Amino acid sequence: MIKILLRYTNLLVLTLLVVVIFSFALAYLFPGEPYTNLTGVIDEQAAAAHQNLSVTSAFWQYLGNIFAGDWGLSLMTGQSLADEIAITLPATLELSLYALAFALLVGLPIGFWAGLKPHKGIDYSVLGASAVMHSFPVFWLAMLLVLIFSLQFGWLPMSGRLNLLMDVPNVSGFIFVDIFLADNIDRSQAAWDAVKHLALPTFCVSIITMATIIRAVRRSTLEVMHKPFIIAAQSRGLSNAQIFFKHGFRNALLPILPILAMQVTTIITNVMIVESIFSWPGIGNWLLQAIYQQDYPAIRAGMLAVAGAVIVVTILIELFNRIIDPSREKFEDVTF
Amino acid sequence: MALLDIKNLTLEIDTEAGWIKALDKANLMVKENEIQALVGESGSGKSLIVRAISGGLPQQMRITADRLTWRGKNLLAMNGEERREIMRRDIAVVFQDPIGTLDPTVSLGEQLEESVPYEFVGSGWFWQKRAVRRKIAIQLLHKVGIKDHVATMRAYPHQITTDIGQKFMIAMALVSQPALLIADDPTRGMEATTKTQILKLFKRLNQTKGLSILFVGHDLLAISSMADSMTVLYCGQTVESGPIQKLQKRPLHPYTKALMESAPSFRVDLAPKSPLVTLPGTIPTLQHLPIGCRLGPRCERAQKTCVQAPEIRKIHDHQYSCHFPLHSKAK
Repeated sequence: MIKILLRYTNLLVLTLLVVVIFSFALAYLFPGEPYTNLTGVIDEQAAAAHQNLSVTSAFWQYLGNIFAGDWGLSLMTGQSLADEIAITLPATLELSLYALAFALLVGLPIGFWAGLKPHKGIDYSVLGASAVMHSFPVFWLAMLLVLIFSLQFGWLPMSGRLNLLMDVPNVSGFIFVDIFLADNIDRSQAAWDAVKHLALPTFCVSIITMATIIRAVRRSTLEVMHKPFIIAAQSRGLSNAQIFFKHGFRNALLPILPILAMQVTTIITNVMIVESIFSWPGIGNWLLQAIYQQDYPAIRAGMLAVAGAVIVVTILIELFNRIIDPSREKFEDVTF
Repeated sequence: MALLDIKNLTLEIDTEAGWIKALDKANLMVKENEIQALVGESGSGKSLIVRAISGGLPQQMRITADRLTWRGKNLLAMNGEERREIMRRDIAVVFQDPIGTLDPTVSLGEQLEESVPYEFVGSGWFWQKRAVRRKIAIQLLHKVGIKDHVATMRAYPHQITTDIGQKFMIAMALVSQPALLIADDPTRGMEATTKTQILKLFKRLNQTKGLSILFVGHDLLAISSMADSMTVLYCGQTVESGPIQKLQKRPLHPYTKALMESAPSFRVDLAPKSPLVTLPGTIPTLQHLPIGCRLGPRCERAQKTCVQAPEIRKIHDHQYSCHFPLHSKAK
């Protein structure tokens, strides 16, 4: 167990280090002074001093600053980038989390259902629906939903995280936590408002992931239910429900987790697209603005933050998968 | 009365070439307290018979039978609930591949404890029940010859060896104290000492507990040492069945004779280094089955009539289906 944890920590640290090196290299590849790109400060003397430094010692300094929480200043606003990311990244992660949860909540039962009744009407219609879902371009779907639900019917708000009249102070960056922590507001009304704002973007982002999950779950359920141990369980006189929940469910879920780990990147990418359509104050929207303004320090820091978040989440899912799958021990000496 | 009585069991498989009869009017009868052996080459449909008895056939297979009864009750006419109840308490199956038939994500101890029927556990708090389950499981493991029960119970299927797995599967089959144990090639790939242990265990269970055993396999030596009667299967057709001494001493079907002769241990008069007697040709594939008696093309006694499937003929409890049996005068 400790060995596994050490191994995954090692993987995490090394991968993050590579990302940091890449973000450091970006400062040299972007136009302008590397010093300015790294710090967001325009200071000719300091830039000259920086140029005299060797690249390695500059990198060590950069690494130290990153750990100290000094990610530089934005050229655009002059604010600390670490603070801006601390506000925008949680909004993105929140949306990704809900989208993933929604996709799982709907995708898993439908996938199991289709997998348990293969090659029948239900199965084919689920497969067909998931193919359609999978081929929606996310930005088009978002605009379509806005057109229908916000402009046509006026049921759901079309932008932002919360009605501006709600005065919820930003503490953690996660909207429901903040609503819970806020004083002097009608919490249930604020929460309901937040749900309404979340509905459309969450749905848009989750739809593609949901299709992938449905297909993967169906496939693996179909495979597992034909394994010899299921036949053996049948011969022991277990009912179909017992067989599925005791033996089928868990085994069918094991191949899903790695797919989920890969879906995290898809979700975050889609969230960043959807953010700019719904004016969601997340990191995707923020990064897009930075790119328009050629705010190089912000681009560097934003990329570092997003890549770091993706890596951490992916490795955590992998670790979880590794812990719950006992048969992986067989390959202990060979691979992760 | 017969425990398990199968008459004219036909199992068809849906393939691209249409429905293929993988089992063609197979007959099998297991009486109370007897060890019945079911022998045949690989691919002769032995395991399919086991699947047909245990139920849960995939969609692309369908079975028809004149009789498929358990203690006089028709298994085919039952609903799922009744069928499951019989499988849960009365019939236990040990499948071929022990590691594959165990759930890879659950430890062996949990799987064994799970299959202890609730009638044996009694009432009490859940920890008391768990203790009873555990006790029963450990006793069973000792009974089938697994000494290190702590390590085995804690292990996952991929961590154990095949022979421990096979013993474990037998323990799992015995846990419900069944009336019939169907053992599908239980000694395959085992070393000689383990094999002897398992066979002795079967024999002992049969003698002390009155357990009937349907022993499926092709290890003729093991079968002749323990079985009471034998059914020979060729390409999905039962060719001959009867008490094992009779079949050994005076086989009536040419295939049975060939099968016996292919096992050198049965031949007393076999000279050293003499070639083994084998049937010409190979076992036909399912797509190219001969009509009538499926042994036809490989049989040296075959004649024109053999394109029609022979009827079952009986001499006391010795049954065979052949137009031109051995030891009979030419007509």
